[in-house]
Amino acid sequence: MSYAYLFKYIIIGDTGVGKSCLLLQFTDKRFQPVHDLTIGVEFGARMITIDNKPIKLQIWDTAGQESFRSITRSYYRGAAGALLVYDITRRETFNHLASWLEDARQHANANMTIMLIGNKCDLAHRRAVSTEEGEQFAKEHGLIFMEASAKTAQNVEEAFIKTAATIYKKIQDGVFDVSNESYGIKVGYGGIPGPSGGRDGVASQSGGCCG
Amino acid sequence: MHETELHDLSDDADYAASQRQGSVSMQRSDSAKTSSSAEPEGAELVYVKDNVTIHPSQFAAERIGGRLMLIKQGACLLLTWIPYKGQHSKLSEKDRNLYTIRGVSFSDVRSIRRHTPTLGWQYIIVVMSTGLAYPPLYFYSGGVKEFLATIKQHVFIVRSADDANIFLVNDFQNPLQRTLSSLELPRAVVANGLSASTSISDPHPAENQPIDDGSVSGEVASLSLYNGRPRPKVHDPARDLSIQVLEKFSLVTRFARETTSQLLRESLNNGYGANERRDHSPHYHDYSYKPSTDPEKAPVEVPVVPDPLEFDKLSMVWGKPRQSPLGSGEWATFLDSEGRVIDSKALKKRIFYGGVEHRLRREVWALLLGYHAFDSTYAEREYLRSMKKLEYETIKHQWQSISAEQAKRFTKFRERKGLIDKDVVSEVWRDFSSIVAALLVKFDVFLTFYPSSILKVRTDRSLSFYEGDDNPNVNLLRDILLTYSFYNFDLGYCQGMSDLLSPILYVMEDESESFWCFVALMERLGPNFNRDQNGMHSQLFALSKLVELLDLPLHNYFKQNDCLNYFFCFRWLLIQFKREFEYEKVMSLWEVFWTHHLSEHLHLYVCVSILKRYRKKIMGEQMDFDTLLKFINELSGLIDLNTILRDAEALCICAGENGAACIPPGTPPSLPIESSLLYPQQDDVL
Repeated sequence: MSYAYLFKYIIIGDTGVGKSCLLLQFTDKRFQPVHDLTIGVEFGARMITIDNKPIKLQIWDTAGQESFRSITRSYYRGAAGALLVYDITRRETFNHLASWLEDARQHANANMTIMLIGNKCDLAHRRAVSTEEGEQFAKEHGLIFMEASAKTAQNVEEAFIKTAATIYKKIQDGVFDVSNESYGIKVGYGGIPGPSGGRDGVASQSGGCCG
Repeated sequence: MHETELHDLSDDADYAASQRQGSVSMQRSDSAKTSSSAEPEGAELVYVKDNVTIHPSQFAAERIGGRLMLIKQGACLLLTWIPYKGQHSKLSEKDRNLYTIRGVSFSDVRSIRRHTPTLGWQYIIVVMSTGLAYPPLYFYSGGVKEFLATIKQHVFIVRSADDANIFLVNDFQNPLQRTLSSLELPRAVVANGLSASTSISDPHPAENQPIDDGSVSGEVASLSLYNGRPRPKVHDPARDLSIQVLEKFSLVTRFARETTSQLLRESLNNGYGANERRDHSPHYHDYSYKPSTDPEKAPVEVPVVPDPLEFDKLSMVWGKPRQSPLGSGEWATFLDSEGRVIDSKALKKRIFYGGVEHRLRREVWALLLGYHAFDSTYAEREYLRSMKKLEYETIKHQWQSISAEQAKRFTKFRERKGLIDKDVVSEVWRDFSSIVAALLVKFDVFLTFYPSSILKVRTDRSLSFYEGDDNPNVNLLRDILLTYSFYNFDLGYCQGMSDLLSPILYVMEDESESFWCFVALMERLGPNFNRDQNGMHSQLFALSKLVELLDLPLHNYFKQNDCLNYFFCFRWLLIQFKREFEYEKVMSLWEVFWTHHLSEHLHLYVCVSILKRYRKKIMGEQMDFDTLLKFINELSGLIDLNTILRDAEALCICAGENGAACIPPGTPPSLPIESSLLYPQQDDVL
């Protein structure tokens, strides 16, 4: 399928906060509470449309356990967006955000867009982190923030798309050199005029020139 | 000495010595014809060796000296050994003649075993197809290798995959043997005395193959060799070893390129006779090869300049065909009447080539994993089971008896338990009444107090054994892991352990037995789960070294693309390919690994073999790290296990000692070098 851009996302956060569930809800529109825990990294992808342009999100879902951090760090490279997830019912997952953020700042490119997600907001009765705290943390660190529920799908679509819109705006504003793939963006067929075409096979497809 | 050049005997100390001493060798052929040998009419004497002696007893005085000869008669090669006449031996002439070997045809010979003790004489044992073996023939003047090389010119003879000192004669049935036979080809280029430079002082280092990465001299040599500038043999054992391996590889490549699977099915007359093989001179794969203008240095043959993707053909190196799994009848033959395994090595080898039928796994896995000793009897195993059951219950009770009040003040326990519960059991406990849930959360109390009906496993839930709510096996999984984290508190619990435990519980169907088998497995794989990941890093490092040895272009590709951390193989290694194959195949693969036949680190060769299978795609599509990681991840379920195992076997054999040298001591699943400080602790983490 052709796209104007491909954005690489990475989902990070403590184990059990619902990273894989968010991905599955976004890509397959379903909730699967029981799934094999993630070893290393898993991948998902979906097309979205922003500003009438088809954009492919390639999403990296990482293992959350502390032991795997040294491996996870290698996945930040070339990510355009990150979803930093905590579980609103488990305080410690919120407490660990600073350490995740430090990893991201250190190993990702400086212009990576980070979306903070307080997951499991359907479990409000067991809430251990208030919405305000989440907002405050996001504000302090310059992140976009949303509470979401992978189970009910609340805000899941929005979180992924809002992140993409922010990245897209950065492209429009010239923050990125899109020909440099270290920013986690690939230009595909139909991309805005740029110095290079995509190379995922899309550029070679027939169907006219860039729009 | 044209013949000897072809067979590169220069690394045979005995042969070299015999040359210096001017002892009998092939030049004597003509004169030998006039001797009183039993040479048949119309035959050609192709080999004579004097001072080949039989030791009928331990007494030196009873030794019988004689002359060994190979006689070519038509298509037939005959072996003859005639005792000297008039020896000062205690044995009578008649007794001595008992040992005479007269015109034994190689078509009746099954194998020749070579013994090259570090002290004493080299000797060979000739075993006939009937199973009859002749007494050892001691080569007092050395030259066993020369003898074998001569045979090889006339009959199909290959080195056994099982024992490098056994040479099988006329073994056409086995594809691996055929493949490996190509490895025995003469190494004319290296032997021919070319440039005098050593690899390390190479004045023309290859631009794209730096040798500055701290590799040992053997590897350095191998790199330069692959660059295609053959060099004289330098008497550096490490270097020679690597040369041997890599030459063998280049030969295999060549062999593979020229061979199709059809070849395997063809009969023995398809050109693997002496003349044909003599043409198979080594070829060196080289991008940067520049022919020397110095005739003295010119290699015998211009190396092939290959497309790097040609290396893909290396995947055509075959291991032995996989056998059917070990069944009950055959299993019984491995046991004595009291249940001891008579020959554990033979058993492991058998399992290596075919695995075990499922119903035998319970018994066999406990042995393979080292929970039970191979030489234990049924009764001893039963006794151990009962003792270990008590011990397990004791450890289990340690965490079961932690009260809620205690747990409140025991953060590490709560955290660990929470993690296991979460991984093995449901992610969330969402369906509680809010009051109960809020209360529990408030006190940070975890799952002990949750009804098991809501527990959900995150491990192998698609398997009927673990599916459904309130599945007791799920709870067992959790209990065993938690008990293990008390048994080995320093290591604790780490994600991935449940993947390793799941098949064990599935096979053992008993909590205590599963626990102890898991303990045995973790003795070897525990370092995979170290907080500092040292076990994983040493395996990833070894893997990169093995790829460098076995597929330099692929290694260079990874290097150029910043992929040398091999993180794309992380999941393969961490949980032993658990997620890459279907459940039954995983079990079969693991039991093959656990035999440690050929290598403790077969899993690393499996990695190499998979990468080699897909190298063309990886390099052809110019995959970067991200693309490669995704590609490897998505291979799950698509890899053909038997093919990969056969490749891995062949790679392991070909890599030989050089392969083993790539793997640092103590690399999992080797047992740790030191038992102290197995799992270094860091205070700032869980």
